[in-house]
Amino acid sequence: MNVSLLGFQSMLGRAVRASGDPAVSHRCNVPADVPTDLTTLFASPGFRITVDVQRSWSMGRAAKSARLTLSILPPEQSRQILEQWVKAGGGTASFFATEADAFLDFIAEHLPAPSHLLTICRLEQATLRASEAARRFIAPPLSGLDLPGRVLRASRQASLVRFYAEPNLVLAALDGGAFPAMSSSIVSLLFAPGLDRLLREASGEQIALWERLIEPVEMKTLLYEGHRREVIAALTLAGATEYVEQGQRCV
Amino acid sequence: MTTSSATVVRSKSEPIVPTLGIGLPYLASLPAEIYQAGMLEFVEVTPETLCRQRPDGKAIAIDPVPDLVARARRTCDSLPIIVHGVELSIGSAHGWNEAYLEMLDSFQTSWPFLWHSEHLGFQTIPGENGASLEVGVPLPLPPTEETVRVVAARVRAIRERYGVPFLLENPAHYLPGLPTDPTVADEGGLMTAITNHGGCFQLLDLHNVYCNSVNHQCDPLAIINRMPLDRVVEIHVAGGSWQDGFWMDAHDGRVPERVWELLDYTLPRATNVAAVVFEMLDEHAAVLGPTAIAEELQRARAIWRRWREA
Repeated sequence: MNVSLLGFQSMLGRAVRASGDPAVSHRCNVPADVPTDLTTLFASPGFRITVDVQRSWSMGRAAKSARLTLSILPPEQSRQILEQWVKAGGGTASFFATEADAFLDFIAEHLPAPSHLLTICRLEQATLRASEAARRFIAPPLSGLDLPGRVLRASRQASLVRFYAEPNLVLAALDGGAFPAMSSSIVSLLFAPGLDRLLREASGEQIALWERLIEPVEMKTLLYEGHRREVIAALTLAGATEYVEQGQRCV
Repeated sequence: MTTSSATVVRSKSEPIVPTLGIGLPYLASLPAEIYQAGMLEFVEVTPETLCRQRPDGKAIAIDPVPDLVARARRTCDSLPIIVHGVELSIGSAHGWNEAYLEMLDSFQTSWPFLWHSEHLGFQTIPGENGASLEVGVPLPLPPTEETVRVVAARVRAIRERYGVPFLLENPAHYLPGLPTDPTVADEGGLMTAITNHGGCFQLLDLHNVYCNSVNHQCDPLAIINRMPLDRVVEIHVAGGSWQDGFWMDAHDGRVPERVWELLDYTLPRATNVAAVVFEMLDEHAAVLGPTAIAEELQRARAIWRRWREA
């Protein structure tokens, strides 16, 4: 053939991905540089159905990965969010868990803040992160807290989810009931791979420490600011905070 | 683990393939009672369905999930297994999925399989900064000499790595006008060249043959006759459905009558076939139900017995 295997695959693969935009579903996204002997392929109904299958599978994979959050959104909003995600190239991984976290971030951008909807979205993401990490989690040795220059940060595997009403009332609405009124009394649940059943209600001290550790901070600074060593140790053992090794510092 | 004493011996240098009979994929949604000797002779496991992917630097890692694997092993305990992968992307010119192979290394150590298979196709293309980009759907390979060279070399590496027979499955696809070299000519020529040069066997998917014959308007018997039938070790049958004028390889129901006819046609001609699998997807298995599945297995067994036990 006139085109290399790599060239053919890149051309075909990119065209299939790019043509998944429903706004252009009535026509094929034929690459500008397609050789003339391949125009039949790209202009064929078979190419179109291949694109439709790719889009349908991608939508299905994405929907499966955020099942809870999408189920509580109005159907039209769910569909629009899914289409936007797939249009941007999402949902293509055969086993979607690697994309699920990013997809839930994407959904969160489309939800009012604060809101019960956003809380449920973050709850699903927190559960995903903590449960995936729990498969490999080993609590770090606490002796590491005392190393000179020790720096800590909030773990990517952990999350703090804020409920703007009693969590039981918010979760009860998932069975089809109405969400309770938004309350100024916030309940924060901490999710981490080392916690029993992956979560517990966070205390005021834990919340303050978590928020401080959004950026890496030296241990001695935390202690100087009044954070108690016991609280730091508990969150570290639970995998909610983690050590920052040399060369990993962000600030 | 028990297998039939009957075996197919290729040559002194090639592996022995035990004759199995009729099998099903391992589907977590099905009752465990189906996976019993008497109902089936073996189970086909897709390891990726028992795994989770996670980012691993720029690449990904595929980790078996211990409780999913343990449940599958309990369910299939009395039966031998074969492996049917979906994630290798053996035909991607820029490189195959090394994470799949690393997963399969550990899977084979913990749960040995009699042979393993993959799809003759590709599903990844080069992305940015050397990363691999998922297309989102498997795509067919062009029947060219370059394809033969790329895939046959990988087949040889896989045979060396696992030490058990390796099979490639002919895919269903909807694309006309694939680039073609006259020396290879078509999918039958491609499969023949790869099995010859790579030393692997074929998994002949008769529903894929049926799909291609319907969608490309050609004779399914002509497709089968072009395949290297002496290298066919396993056969898949499955169901599909119509979508926008195409017969889709959907694995969503009973086997079409024409596909049963193709099995009846193929078995006496492909005399080394050692196993027939009724394929379906997990989400459709529960809808189809155990009774219908048992009926499809009986139908497959009746044809199998006609040609293998006559």
